[in-house]
Amino acid sequence: MPFTDIAVAIQISFIYFTVFYLTGLGGLFSERSGIVNIGLEGLMIIGTVTGAFGVRFFTDTMGLGTVWGPILGLLFGALCGAIFAGVHAVATITFKVDHIVSGVVINLVAIGLARFLSSAFFDGQSTQSDPGGPHLARLNIPGLSSLPGGLDRAFEGLSPLVIVAALMVIPVWYSLYRTRWGLRLRSCGENPEATRSLGVSVPLYRYQGVLLSGAFAGLSGAFLAAEIIGAWREGQTLGLGFVALAALIISNWNPVRLMFFAWLFGFAFAIPLRLQDAPVISLLPEQFIRMIPYVVTIVAIAGFVGRVRPPAAAGRAYEGGGGG
Amino acid sequence: MSAQGMAGPIAAPSARPAWLESFVGQFLALLASFGIALLLGSFLILAYGENPIEVYRSIFDASLGSVDGLGYVLAIATPLIFSALAVSVCFKGGLFNIGVEGQYLVAMVTAAVAELNLDFLPGFLLVPAVLIAAMLGGMIWAAIPGVLKVKRGAHEVVTTIMLNLIALSLIGWALNGPLHYNDAPAGAFVDLRSNVFPKNGLVGDLGSVFGVTPGAHLSWLLFLAIAAAIVVWFLIRRTRLGYEARAVGSSPGSAKAGGVSIGSTQIRLFLISGALAGLIGMHQILADRGYLPLNYVVGLGFTGIAVAFLGQNNPIGIIFAAILWGVLSRGEVALQISSEVPREFIIILQGLLILTVVITYQIAKRRLAARQLQRAGMAESLDDSAAPDDSAGPRGPEYTGAEAFEPADEKRT
Repeated sequence: MPFTDIAVAIQISFIYFTVFYLTGLGGLFSERSGIVNIGLEGLMIIGTVTGAFGVRFFTDTMGLGTVWGPILGLLFGALCGAIFAGVHAVATITFKVDHIVSGVVINLVAIGLARFLSSAFFDGQSTQSDPGGPHLARLNIPGLSSLPGGLDRAFEGLSPLVIVAALMVIPVWYSLYRTRWGLRLRSCGENPEATRSLGVSVPLYRYQGVLLSGAFAGLSGAFLAAEIIGAWREGQTLGLGFVALAALIISNWNPVRLMFFAWLFGFAFAIPLRLQDAPVISLLPEQFIRMIPYVVTIVAIAGFVGRVRPPAAAGRAYEGGGGG
Repeated sequence: MSAQGMAGPIAAPSARPAWLESFVGQFLALLASFGIALLLGSFLILAYGENPIEVYRSIFDASLGSVDGLGYVLAIATPLIFSALAVSVCFKGGLFNIGVEGQYLVAMVTAAVAELNLDFLPGFLLVPAVLIAAMLGGMIWAAIPGVLKVKRGAHEVVTTIMLNLIALSLIGWALNGPLHYNDAPAGAFVDLRSNVFPKNGLVGDLGSVFGVTPGAHLSWLLFLAIAAAIVVWFLIRRTRLGYEARAVGSSPGSAKAGGVSIGSTQIRLFLISGALAGLIGMHQILADRGYLPLNYVVGLGFTGIAVAFLGQNNPIGIIFAAILWGVLSRGEVALQISSEVPREFIIILQGLLILTVVITYQIAKRRLAARQLQRAGMAESLDDSAAPDDSAGPRGPEYTGAEAFEPADEKRT
């Protein structure tokens, strides 16, 4: 079991960390504002197809080069995720549809919409785009990428978005816990009636929370398709949005703890890709090794869920008017 | 407004029985959402430079315009009825069984094991044995999220999605290992699959009875699906378990106060749901293929969720919703042949349909609840303008007061 395998597994875990952390932050904004969002997977799907299209469009068609092209492409994925999240917002906030029902519908509709968009974007190909799309230049982390014994591999050749995602904890934590906006958003998720009595418009903040969740999940999907795979493939999210949701739940809706669990799940996902020859694991049939990350997710959610407390008002409709 | 003042205008609506009112309300909501979805779809068709009426007619002709078309539609509907029933049983108890997908995959494996190991049985025993094996497989896979939910509080949406993905690997392992075919002719290239099932273990073709092309693979399982819908209707409406399920689904707090064991009800619902889910895959392995292939049809469990919403979780509504879904799916073929509109249009139309159904149904439910509140005489404590008015549009402002009286946190479990 050479060190390089562990190092590469850690490198892969950073990629999954980025997917889980960005999507989890999306869920965080939505659920902190009081809207349960199990449509994260669907929002990611929209991000994958629009992101893969966006980087090609801005880089090749618009000729903006390999810096601004991919950046704008990724942001396009985030924007489309936010727009699609608007459906969830309208259904749950304006029409007061049950949050889980709406989330399930979002996931169902996303699959069809992605195919539809794909055939419009990629010349009639409804389930994939051509491989080898443009991506941002890879980064080495200074210092860590000169570790000895092969461990340097873990910190080499990372997408800049991995680092952006990790640094995202600072603005997210600050905006949620140190600004008036964050306090109001969180109070909409804890006690909307009291929040309204202070003259705050609960629907307004909830709309912001849900749209932000779409932007983050869309960015996460765009990262997966454009930065990592280099193409859109139907089904490439394969439940990752739900794993991110699980990470969000066991981190008790806290952006700092979410970092740890997003990485932990990321490492579980790296096992079947890189550590299939490790002791004990190598005794399992290949298909059982592939189950490991999902089993880890189930065990984690079953083990932790009693000890966390969701935002008090998440999941129930707010009946009052707009307020101040 | 005084109680006497309310009596006049209320008399008319209360003459109708509640079930009729709710049936009419649901039906109107369904009709409205169908109209809206078709209308939105028309804009899309116009954007492709085609005539919406022509396109809709070609979808109709391909599906309901001929006996063969109808055969295809009913064959598509058969597994979807099982799937939507499985979803709806859990839904009645406030549970979201997103794991129907994985449950039917596991059931196809257990059914294949039964087929290949019980081949000494005569057909009239073998087929029921295989169906029971499938139901058991689905129940085992559904029991896991049920127990995790009740014992550990793990939300079933997350656990069932993970179990779906585990089931995908499980079926791959079974086809590579224990179920790997060994009856292939020497040297022939065969896709990964199980051995061919015994002939007497297959479900007979129904198409030959009604003159439908054998290509449609219409099977007797259609009648089993309709029977299952009737059983589910009876279970939910006429048994103690159904009553408890509805109580848990609409208000867990009151159900518990009324002496209902929430955990035991939820686990039983998961088991019934899993048994129904187990039958979803039988159409493709017993009527269509005759073996368990690796390229089995996926996604029937997720489509079942859409069909359940479309049928508004009513077992009889689900039969019609599954047929409607079959009509649209069959319409894809027509679009490919005769139109510039891409086949993905159908998926968008189906998506629009679910969205509009979910939203209009919610509006109708609230209107109905508001009206029932008014009838109960509670309206006088609400907004003064809350006079019952049949002509008001959906979400008329006069009902916003009554909405506040809906139990707010019933959906949190």
